Amino acid sequence: MAQQTIPATVGTLESASPDGRRRPVRPRRALRPRTVVVAAVAWLIAAVFLLPYLQMVITALRPASELRDATYLPDHFAWSNFVDVWRESNLGSNLRVTLLVAGGSTLLVLLVAIPAAYYTARVKYRGRKVFLLLVLVTQMFQPTSLLVGLYREFYQLGMLNSVWTLVLCNAAFNLAFAIWILTAYFSAIPVQLEEAAMIDGLGRGGALLRVTLPLAMPGVVTAVIFTFIAAWNEFVMGLTLSTVPESQPLTVGINSFIGNYTVQWNYLFAASVIAIVPVVVLFAFIERHVVSGLTAGSVK
Amino acid sequence: MKKRMLVLSAACAAGALVLTACGGGGAGGSADGTVTLKLVAADYGDKASNSSTVYWEDVAKRFEAANPEIKVDVQVVNWNDIDAQVKTMIQSGNVPDVLQTGGYADKVADDLLYKAEEVLSPATLDNLVDTFAKAGEVDGVQYGIPFVSSARALFYNKKLLADAGVTEPPKSWADLKAAAEAVKKKNPDVVPYALPLGPEEAQGETLIWELGNGGGYTGDDGKYTLDSEANVETFQWLRANLVEPGLTYSNPAATDRRTAFADFAAGKAGMLNGHPSLIQMSKDGGVDYGVAPIPGKDGALDSTLGVADWMMAFKDSGHQEEIRKFLDFAYSKENTLKFDEMYNLMPVTEDTLQEMTSNGKHKDLEPFFDLLPKASFYPLGDTSWDAVSAEIKKSGGTAVGDDPAKVLGDLQKKAEQIAANQ
Amino acid sequence: MSSNVTSGGRRPPRSGRSGTRRSGLGRLGPLPWIGPAVLLIVVVVLWPVYEMVRTSFLKISVSGFVRGWAGLDKYRQLFDEPDLGSVITATVVWTVGVVALTMVISLGLAQLFNQRFPGRRLTRWALIAPWAASVLMTAIGFKWMLDRTAGVLNTLMTDLGIVDSPEDWLGDPSTAWPWMMFVAVFVSLPFTTYTLLAGLQTVPGEVYEAARVDGAGVWQTYRRITLPLLRPAFLVGVVINLINVFNSFPVIWGMTRGGPDSDTATTTVFMYQLKSSDIGESAAMSVVNFALVVVMVAAFLKVSRWNQEEA
Repeated sequence: MAQQTIPATVGTLESASPDGRRRPVRPRRALRPRTVVVAAVAWLIAAVFLLPYLQMVITALRPASELRDATYLPDHFAWSNFVDVWRESNLGSNLRVTLLVAGGSTLLVLLVAIPAAYYTARVKYRGRKVFLLLVLVTQMFQPTSLLVGLYREFYQLGMLNSVWTLVLCNAAFNLAFAIWILTAYFSAIPVQLEEAAMIDGLGRGGALLRVTLPLAMPGVVTAVIFTFIAAWNEFVMGLTLSTVPESQPLTVGINSFIGNYTVQWNYLFAASVIAIVPVVVLFAFIERHVVSGLTAGSVK
Repeated sequence: MKKRMLVLSAACAAGALVLTACGGGGAGGSADGTVTLKLVAADYGDKASNSSTVYWEDVAKRFEAANPEIKVDVQVVNWNDIDAQVKTMIQSGNVPDVLQTGGYADKVADDLLYKAEEVLSPATLDNLVDTFAKAGEVDGVQYGIPFVSSARALFYNKKLLADAGVTEPPKSWADLKAAAEAVKKKNPDVVPYALPLGPEEAQGETLIWELGNGGGYTGDDGKYTLDSEANVETFQWLRANLVEPGLTYSNPAATDRRTAFADFAAGKAGMLNGHPSLIQMSKDGGVDYGVAPIPGKDGALDSTLGVADWMMAFKDSGHQEEIRKFLDFAYSKENTLKFDEMYNLMPVTEDTLQEMTSNGKHKDLEPFFDLLPKASFYPLGDTSWDAVSAEIKKSGGTAVGDDPAKVLGDLQKKAEQIAANQ
Repeated sequence: MSSNVTSGGRRPPRSGRSGTRRSGLGRLGPLPWIGPAVLLIVVVVLWPVYEMVRTSFLKISVSGFVRGWAGLDKYRQLFDEPDLGSVITATVVWTVGVVALTMVISLGLAQLFNQRFPGRRLTRWALIAPWAASVLMTAIGFKWMLDRTAGVLNTLMTDLGIVDSPEDWLGDPSTAWPWMMFVAVFVSLPFTTYTLLAGLQTVPGEVYEAARVDGAGVWQTYRRITLPLLRPAFLVGVVINLINVFNSFPVIWGMTRGGPDSDTATTTVFMYQLKSSDIGESAAMSVVNFALVVVMVAAFLKVSRWNQEEA
């Protein structure tokens, strides 16, 4: 199985290698020409990555009358678009649904994936290969081709138009990656650490919670980022399973700016820009947690 | 091995239990005797504040106040998604009671609908404009209940045409070509004639042009004639006279109507076949527009493409009586007038038509009111039309490419296949 | 029965702890640990998969009404589609092209952003943008920038003299494909670059120092030391990208909807297009689609393991 041969590698920025080794810190020197070139190229690339989104912001600020103008910047900046988009749509309720769905499914993924990944990494139980195969296969299915089945199922369950349905679905389709990544991380943590803890009277569950989990923090954070972003941006399931405005996520709400005869590009992009902000905030927030998780790991 | 099976089967069993335990509960009747009607409707708005949700929820509220024993559950779906959503609903057995969307005949083929006379009181039925009531018939029996209508006409930008020295709107294809050439010469940055044959509305633009050459989708016997000589000729003309000389978009088959409308409303297109919703858009964009009959090959057409959207009632849950009450309410003059005025659409009921033509508030719509009695429709009453229309939307536009006869021939084959499978 | 499984499953760590003293784990087996995961997968993924396969054998009318069994008719109908051949070819080219470009560019980006330079943290953040934004929105954003009338990229290219006048890039398959591949690579870069960056950070610094002492050149060091050590991260990147790019729906749907006709469709988009005319045939396409992705991933895993044995 692929999972066994692939060690934990997907980490977040500041992550140390799983064995806790860190690169030697070099003394700061004055900028060398090579560093200047590297920095210039990197800054240029960063700009290229941001420009499409800057263009979205600019479009969001265009008055409707200037949408078809082939100009770089509008003559007038319609800051009121952001107010209008909020007033003329259900963004508030959409945002609430999306937060619940993204937060809820992330939590559910962690609750379900951590024990499964931990056990799979530590115990050679029967059916382990089948389980790992199941996980890999799940990764290959996309909700787009399963929509009718999902709709039928949740209709029969009487769970259409429910935030919890979207939580379940988003969790299920992101579970595979989380299990995969966490199994790799748990495998890389020396088993002796846990055994010591278990001799100290902690059960396997306790050892997992107090010893292994903190060490696997970068893996957990990676799983969190993945699930959260995927659930935040999920569209087709939200569209199919939620047909009333009160239970529609942001991505579906934004869709309503694409009308039968017109597309309100400025509102569409204004809403999209609003939708990106919370994800950026999450990154800022979680960044600190990575660092503290790492320090905790290195102390032990 | 054994253990693994156990795990899986336990999980399946648990899953199955949950499934059955929570199942059911979709039928819409309840213990206290109230009946819930499921209404699914298309969204004619382009933001939440003018969404049709607002309209339908208001109708439902007033209806419920007058009929406390009936509840109406409103679901409004974006036009882009409503076909897929309704199919999914029907396939899953979650059939709506009342549906308002673009076509009805495919549902008749599966015997899903009430006849119009079963769910409308004689007065409401009588109030429907005849042309539309006729268009709602399958084999002489009316199932589709018209809801709103519109007609197409040629919109032109008065200023762009005047600047180019074109003094009156084109009447024939040759006039149109000459006007387009003049516009292009004077103002190379605008699209002289906007020809949207993309998947959004290809079936509309296609039929308008084919009508201009005496063609169309069906012959007198009601059989499909998608690749008739007149139709092939139409596309050959479009290709040779508009596409190749660069008098329209370079890839009409990939250009949607929304783009064409937006260009026109921004003063970036000279002429196009438009629809009453373009009136307000043009005003907002400050475009001085004119409306003229559709140009035909040898002169202006006295007919046009009429489009109607439909209301239909499903038999599945047997709420015939409640549906009748609701539809009679929804088709009252007060409600239909409100909807038509809200979206600048045209009425399909006599009383509202009378009101709108006489109250003086709808001067803009007058050219369209004149066209309506002579309008041609899609073969709406053909139960295979919805599937054929989907095929035309997908690939019909490519007929302006290299080989119109082949594209239309393939479509005709598909259409015959679909019709045979009905 | 049901309550047993779910309550045992909902709080696996605790039930594991209370029943432990080591032997407890053995007694309960893997159930409390992996049970919830299996349950979630079975209920939310496998159940609809079963529905999908079943649908592919059904005769379903345009209205969505199920008329009965179709046997293998829908598969036959699918394989008779004149467009299918070109769609599958396009899918393979699309997948291989996008994944290959993504991996190569990501290797460069990871190397670059692993250097120390002022503003590294900030520039790395910028890299995340396409990941944080929804792929559909990014695709629609590019469609808007490529708009013939008002697209800023058209304006820019006209001003720079690259094109004479604004072009309809997405309307013509020969120009739409490169642009869509560009966008697909663009949205795949953040994840891949981050995977490789994390991989690079697991390479101990001493290894490089040793190489420098041995007098190895930059390129030699990279090829002989960095690349082999990056292999695991690289594999993860390729497998995840293979699956994602093959299944990629929003990029194409947001930009061309697979049109004109099916000229810019991959199998996934084609499946969605079929949905409007025949749900059964569309389901058959989903099944074939899944078979294709399994074959692709299996083939890749096999090849990569074979390489490993050779090396």
